[in-house]
Amino acid sequence: MHIRSLFYFLGEAFKNIARNGWMSVASVGVVSITLLILGSFVVLSFNVDLATHDLKEQVQIVLYINERAGEDTRAELHAKLVAHPGLAEVRYVSRADAMARLKEKLGDRSNLLEGYEEPEDNPLRDSYELRTAIPEEIPAVAKEIKSYPGAAEVDYGSGVVEPLFQFTGLVRWIGLAFMAGLAVTTVFLIAHTIRLTVYLRRKEIMIMKYVGATDWFIRWPFLFEGLILGMIGAVIPVFIIFYGYQEAALWMQNNIYFVSLLPPEKIIEVIARILIPLGVALGIIGSTISVRRFLKV
Amino acid sequence: MIEIHHLYKQFENDAYVLEDINLMIDRGEFVFIVGSSGAGKSTLLRLLLREILPTRGMIKVFGRDLARLRKREVPYLRRNIGMVFQDFRLLEDRNVFENVAFSLRVIGVSTREINKRVPLALELVGLKGKALRNPGELSGGEQQRVCVARAVVNRPAVVLADEPTGNLDPDTSMEIMKLFQDINIRGTTVVVATHAKELVDHFQKRVVVLGKNRVVSDRERGVYLHAH
Repeated sequence: MHIRSLFYFLGEAFKNIARNGWMSVASVGVVSITLLILGSFVVLSFNVDLATHDLKEQVQIVLYINERAGEDTRAELHAKLVAHPGLAEVRYVSRADAMARLKEKLGDRSNLLEGYEEPEDNPLRDSYELRTAIPEEIPAVAKEIKSYPGAAEVDYGSGVVEPLFQFTGLVRWIGLAFMAGLAVTTVFLIAHTIRLTVYLRRKEIMIMKYVGATDWFIRWPFLFEGLILGMIGAVIPVFIIFYGYQEAALWMQNNIYFVSLLPPEKIIEVIARILIPLGVALGIIGSTISVRRFLKV
Repeated sequence: MIEIHHLYKQFENDAYVLEDINLMIDRGEFVFIVGSSGAGKSTLLRLLLREILPTRGMIKVFGRDLARLRKREVPYLRRNIGMVFQDFRLLEDRNVFENVAFSLRVIGVSTREINKRVPLALELVGLKGKALRNPGELSGGEQQRVCVARAVVNRPAVVLADEPTGNLDPDTSMEIMKLFQDINIRGTTVVVATHAKELVDHFQKRVVVLGKNRVVSDRERGVYLHAH
């Protein structure tokens, strides 16, 4: 593209935006609103992910070792657990460690444990605390290691863990479906809005065709127009989300302090990285679809 | 310059709009194409602009067979053809100068060149002092002059006009026709489709009569004949 043409196209794009003032405002509005909804949902799902991630991280498997298991069996059990590909963390907790932990947990009331503290009186069992690489695999892994030699009992909070995982899975799928639906709606709305601005200028396009302008010469200003409108339409929700989120995060911190949120600085980066290219792409796609029909002269 | 051999045109499966048209137009000629509404005058002009393709037969402009012209070559064909419409087709949101300049801008002519050529074209059509007016402030005749200036500003070899006086009163029509004559005298081939009998009879140019979708008469220094 010749540099003079580039300036001409950009100039025309800005002129067109100014000339179709209200139509341009409407296009930007449509892009902004849809991207604002989309962006808010992205923020929400990121935070839901973060929250459930914390929750999921806390879920672990506890494997109690059979008291009658000999040294060989214990060694074999340890080797098998360490070698298991699904386990990310294998930690041995001896009876004495368990007792010390319990004592610490009880704090002031640790005198309840009097009489159980000597090794021969300790009622607790040696155990392994295990974490899986993927939290959702806990039930399956628990079932598998239960049959290992020397394993007496396996506990992972069954009955609580399954519904939690079902819930987070559902949230993720609904989120994906919702975002896909919104993206399609956005393309549709932008294509229609820009088609209207192209329609208003069909006479101009027709004259261009008659005096021998090439199709690309006709297309470029519209592509730039779509790009500019899409970009403005994306920058607005980025700022709204950033400031809105900052306020919301502050409010949450003061009122619902136990919920941890992603920091606003991180959010703006993620949101800008998603929304701005998306807005630009949607603007270009929308104008391409819209111009095509009017080039057939 | 324009060669048409055994040309047929039919839209979809309707009746033929043009049947067995044969026509040769040389460089520098002034030709009236006359005939009642629906005789196929506009269709013929649209074929010359390669807006539509013939159903059968051959149509050559500047030695190029239009049916074989590639889609991306069409703009370059049109840069050598100036088109004038009955309804002017001016852009209401910009002034006279910008309307004429528009046809140069969109084919990539530099601003410096535009500033040189547009005033010349406006002078040619007698609108020198109205460059900054908007089309809405001009009379019908003046608007058509702007349209003519736009058609000739790129110095095309051919100017095609489709009922250029259809929306104008007789006196104004005569002036516009004189303008076409001036342009023709400067060497540009002019083809005017019209059904304005008085004008055609007055100018004593070559007249091609279309009737019932065929050429029924083609005479030098002709007059308007009714094809019945």
